[in-house]
This record gives sequence, structure tokens and C-alpha cells, in this order.
Amino acid sequence: MTRVTTVPTSTPVKAPVRSQSQLSVAWGQFRKNRLAQVGGTMIILLYLMAIFAPFLAPDGLSNYSTSNITRFHPPTPIGLRDPETGAFGRPFVFKYTQQLNMDTFVNEFKPSAEKCPIYFGVRGDSYRILGLIPGNLHLFGTGQPDCKVYLMGGEDLGRDLLSRTLYASQISLTIGVAAVLISTLIGLFMGAMAAYFGGFVDTVIMRLVEVLASIPTLFLLILLRSVFPKEINPILALYVILGILAFINWGGLARVTRGQLLSVREQDFVSAARALGASDNRIMIRHMLPTMTTYVIVTTSLAIPATILTESGLSFLGIGAVEPYASWGSLLKQAQDGGLSSLNTRPWVLIPGFFIVFTVMCFQLLGDGLRDAFDPRKRS
Amino acid sequence: MIPFLLRRVVQSIPTLFLASLLIFFVIQLAPGDFLTPAKLNPNISPEQIASLERNFGLDRHPIEQYLLWMKNMIFNRDFGLSFQYQQPVLDVAIPRVLNSLWLVLLNLIFFYAIAIPLGVYGAVRQNSLGDKAVNVVLYFLLGFPSFFLALIVIYFILQVRNATGWDIPINGMTSNGFDAMAPLEKVWDVLKHLLIPALVLAISDAAGLTRVIRGLMLEVMRSDYIRTARAKGVSERTAIWKHTFRNAILPIVAGIGGLLPAAISGAGLTEVVFAYPGITPMILDAINTQDLYLIAGFTVLGTVLLVIGNALSDILLAVVDPRIKVG
Repeated sequence: MTRVTTVPTSTPVKAPVRSQSQLSVAWGQFRKNRLAQVGGTMIILLYLMAIFAPFLAPDGLSNYSTSNITRFHPPTPIGLRDPETGAFGRPFVFKYTQQLNMDTFVNEFKPSAEKCPIYFGVRGDSYRILGLIPGNLHLFGTGQPDCKVYLMGGEDLGRDLLSRTLYASQISLTIGVAAVLISTLIGLFMGAMAAYFGGFVDTVIMRLVEVLASIPTLFLLILLRSVFPKEINPILALYVILGILAFINWGGLARVTRGQLLSVREQDFVSAARALGASDNRIMIRHMLPTMTTYVIVTTSLAIPATILTESGLSFLGIGAVEPYASWGSLLKQAQDGGLSSLNTRPWVLIPGFFIVFTVMCFQLLGDGLRDAFDPRKRS
Repeated sequence: MIPFLLRRVVQSIPTLFLASLLIFFVIQLAPGDFLTPAKLNPNISPEQIASLERNFGLDRHPIEQYLLWMKNMIFNRDFGLSFQYQQPVLDVAIPRVLNSLWLVLLNLIFFYAIAIPLGVYGAVRQNSLGDKAVNVVLYFLLGFPSFFLALIVIYFILQVRNATGWDIPINGMTSNGFDAMAPLEKVWDVLKHLLIPALVLAISDAAGLTRVIRGLMLEVMRSDYIRTARAKGVSERTAIWKHTFRNAILPIVAGIGGLLPAAISGAGLTEVVFAYPGITPMILDAINTQDLYLIAGFTVLGTVLLVIGNALSDILLAVVDPRIKVG
């Protein structure tokens, strides 16, 4: 018997073909999109700003003096050079005095010669970050209640607009996103119900969608807000507006979900799952709803900026965030107070609007980036 | 065409009916009614309040109120009485609806006059410097809430006014002494007041549509029949406007129906900023005074406009796209 020895041929080690999930393909595409990444990074920074708003803000949310009313205090420029010697030193602001102009009967603010030095890390209003971490340290400030830094000027009660804007970011950035997430859940659930039960349930849900779509959006929003009394608890008012925004937006998604599920139901993989004895719940949640992932991610990310805009509009009309809380939209409301012609005496009240523009643009960049990342035709 | 229209009307009846039901009962849910402030007033006796309640039909069961309201609306075109103005709702509402319509119509003209040329230009000269510049500006505009854009425009107009004394109207719908003007002068006066709000609205809305038109044009321009048309020697102008544009705008025409009510509700914020006597300022007012039938009347009118708009867009679609048969 001859022993046949075979030389072990060295089979080249094949690199295992890594199958990529759709999400990882999309992530790879997203990584190539510089603009979308910039948008995403900025959004993260904005949220960090919102979380640490109490620390970043030189003043509290609703701090104003009833004795020394600083209504529409102009922005205080920050000086670095001593006005007499010209030497550089600790940054400071001038203390402002008010005087009634006897010709125009307008209160005029004038810087006095008194300097208030600005310190970093001053103790001031106490706060709790995320409702948990207590503190009273502020990034910067003068530490003097009657000589504050007004980087963005003051608003109608004399509160620091920068502090209000920073606090407002907490509301503006939460309501839009939360409303979209909730309406996405409602939309998916309603669409799935309509497709699953069919018949009567289907008719009722689709009719409801139609009716909601047939009433002009702004009127519907105002109408729904009027169900709740105007002077409710300010915190409750925020939840109300969140709920209303979530309630009016689910129709489109429900319709698409229903259509998609009805067409998927006839496909082989669903029949296969059914033949294997999978329960209805399992088929729905593990097999049918995941076909919606791409659509949901893309529409959600594009619905967020739209909802932020709607929220700002409602707050501007005075039916969104109410005192003492503020959102960027409600801060813009004071631009209208006292007639439009007084706007050019205090242009700084427009600044919160640019926060809206910036946020919406970042979300839009991110949303467009995600849409392109999931679109097979745009792959490179 | 007529059977088609009839069918549209019949189809929209259940939607209208359900919408009116929803509107009415949402209002019923609201706490208090128009008489709540009167009840708190010690100078008004309970008897007076009871008689007021009877007059306004507020003492009846909500379902009865609803049925009565529907009956009067359908058969007598009577939308009820506005408590605040002490006039029939239609008399109060119709002038406001017309005011809003003028604003929206002018706005739509500007809207298309801006969006179509820019969108087509962006597609024809794709990736040119002009296209990129337009894209950047539009992207920036997408982030502006319409009321914020309006405030900024007002700020600059005020600056111009202070510097040059040039009086650009930015407030209301008419100037002082409007009643004494000649008819043509009146039209011109209203137009002057409409100009800035309509333009602001159009600019803030056009950003979205321009991007859509550009995308659709690009998609159609790649198709075979455009190449065929060019190969046959069709002029560039015909290739773009007749072959590409007409096909590209089909999805937009399909959406025109929603545009009218969307524009009316979208114009709301701008109306508030410019103190324009349109629908939204009055609705906000009516909400504050719990003027039930006025709110309901406006919302019903808005819903009717939407249904009409949808029917119109179906007809338009049939005009633009001969593949769709009407009737």
C-alpha cells in the first residue's frame, strides 16, 4: 500500500465576505457627507448648550428687579482697555443709568463712568442641571445685581436676553423633537392597526387621517389649544403644546405605513414566517415593520426642523411656551410689543430668531444627509 | 367634466361632515363659554344670563346645538351669531376670508414667479456658480420662520424709512383716508399694503418649491424622450419648457389643491406680524373671547376651501397631463 501523501495545498485564506447591513452601508455613506456631519455636530453642541444653559447663562431664567426696572436694556459692550490709562486689564462693562428724555418721554440708557469687572466662574443664581446637579456657579458675570452684563441686551421686563435665550433652547430643542418622536410612534401604530385589522378599524383610522388633513393646520392648532384654558400651569402648557403637535402630524406616516404593510403582507418572507408558525405579533414587529426603517428615519429627521418651526410660530402667537418659560419663538413676540416702529430702537430682540434659523438649518443638513445616505441611487 | 365634479362633491361630503363634527366638539370641550365673563360680573343678574343663554341656544344639549348649527348652515347659509360682534358669522368672516385670499393670491403669484425660474435655472445650469449660489441662499432661507423673516424685513424697512423718509406701508391693509379715495386709488393703496407681506411670504415659501422643481427637472432631463427630442433637433427652449418642464411639474400640480388652505393658514403668522386684517388675527381674538360660532365658522370655511382646492388641482392635473382622464 502506497501511502499517498498529499502536500497540503495552502488554500489562500479568504477574507470572510462581510455582509453589511443596510444601516452600516448608510452609515458609511453618511461618513462621507461632510456637511451632514457638520450639521450633526452642531446639533450635539446645541443640546450641550441647552443642558448646561443654567451654567452658561450669566443670570437666572426669570430674574428681574422690581425697583430698578431695566426694560429693554441695551447690550453692554465689553471693554478690555481702561478708558483713562488705555492699559489692558480685566474685561469690564460700564454701569448704565436711565434718564427720561423730557423731549421724547423715552427712557434713555447711558453708560456711566463706573466700571463693573467681569469675573469667570462667579457665584450667582442657584440652579439644577437636568434637575439633578445643583450649583450656583456661572460661566461669567459681574456678581453685582444692579450692574449686569447684557451681552444681547435686555427684554421687556429687563431680564437678560442671553440668559433667557439659553434657557429657551431647552424648550425649543425638546418640544419639536419629542413631538415628532411621539407622532412617529402614533403614525406607525395607527398605520399598523389599519393594515392589520382592515375593515371597520381601517375605515375609521383612514377617515380620521383625512379629516385631520382637511382642516387647515394653523386653525386646527389654535382650535386644539383653545380646548385648554389660557392660564394653565406653564409647565402643563408645554406638555399641551407638545401633545397637540404630536397629534396633528401622524396622518401622513399612518397612511404610508398602512400602504407599505399591505403590500409587504403579500410577500414571500411574510408567508414563510407565517408557515414557520410565527405569531402575528412577531410577524408584525420582527418582519413587517422593519421594512419601514429607512422611510421612518428619513421622514423623522426632516419632520423635526418643520416642527421646530411650527412650535416657534405658536409660541410667537402666544399659544406655545408661556411665562415664565420661554422658547425662541415666544422671545420674538416682544419685537412686536409697543408697535412695530419701536423695533429699530431695540433690534437686539431679534437675536433669538437666529438661533431658530441655525438649529433648523443644522437639522435640515442632517436630514438631507440621512436621506442621501439611505438612497441607493446616490451612492458613491 | 361635470359628472367628475359632481362625484368630487359627493365624495367630499363625509369628510366635510366629520370635520364639522370634530370642530364643533373640540369647541364644546373648551372650558367655559362666551357667557363665562358675564357670569363673573356681579352687575349682570342670573335672569339676564339665562335669557342670553336661551338666545344663543347655549342651554341646549351639545348634540342639539350641533344639529341646529348644521341645519342652519346647510339650508340657510347661516353660520350662527358671533357673540362678540353681534352679527351673523358670515358677515364678519367673509370680508376677512376675502382679505386673506387677496394676500394669498398675490403671494402665490410671487411664489411661482420666484420658484419656477430659479428651479429651472438650477436644473439647466446644474452645478454652475449661479446654481450653487442660489442653493446656498435657499438653504439658508429654509431655516427662517416666516414671521421672523417678516420681522427682519420690517426692521430694514424702518431703517430705510428713517434714512430716506420713503414711506413703504408695512401695517394693515389700507392707509388713512381710504374711504375718500377714488376706486382705482383704493386698489393701488391695497396693493401697496399687500406687496411686502406677500413678497415675504413668497420668499420664505419658495425655498422649498425651488428645490423640488430643480430635483424634478433634473430627473426628467435624464430621460430618454428628452434625448430623443434633442436628437430630432428640437430647440433648447422647447426641449426645456415644453418637454421637460411640463412633465416635471406634474407632482407639483397634484399638490396645488392643498396649497390654497395651506397658504391661508401659513399666511396667518405674517398677517399677525403685519397687522393685516386677515383670518388668523380674528381667530386668535375669537379664541380669547370664546366666540364659539365664529371660530367654528372660520374653520369650516377653511375646510371648504381645502375641498374646493383639491377638486381644482384634480382638474388642473387633467389639463396638464392628458394621460389622466376626467369623467
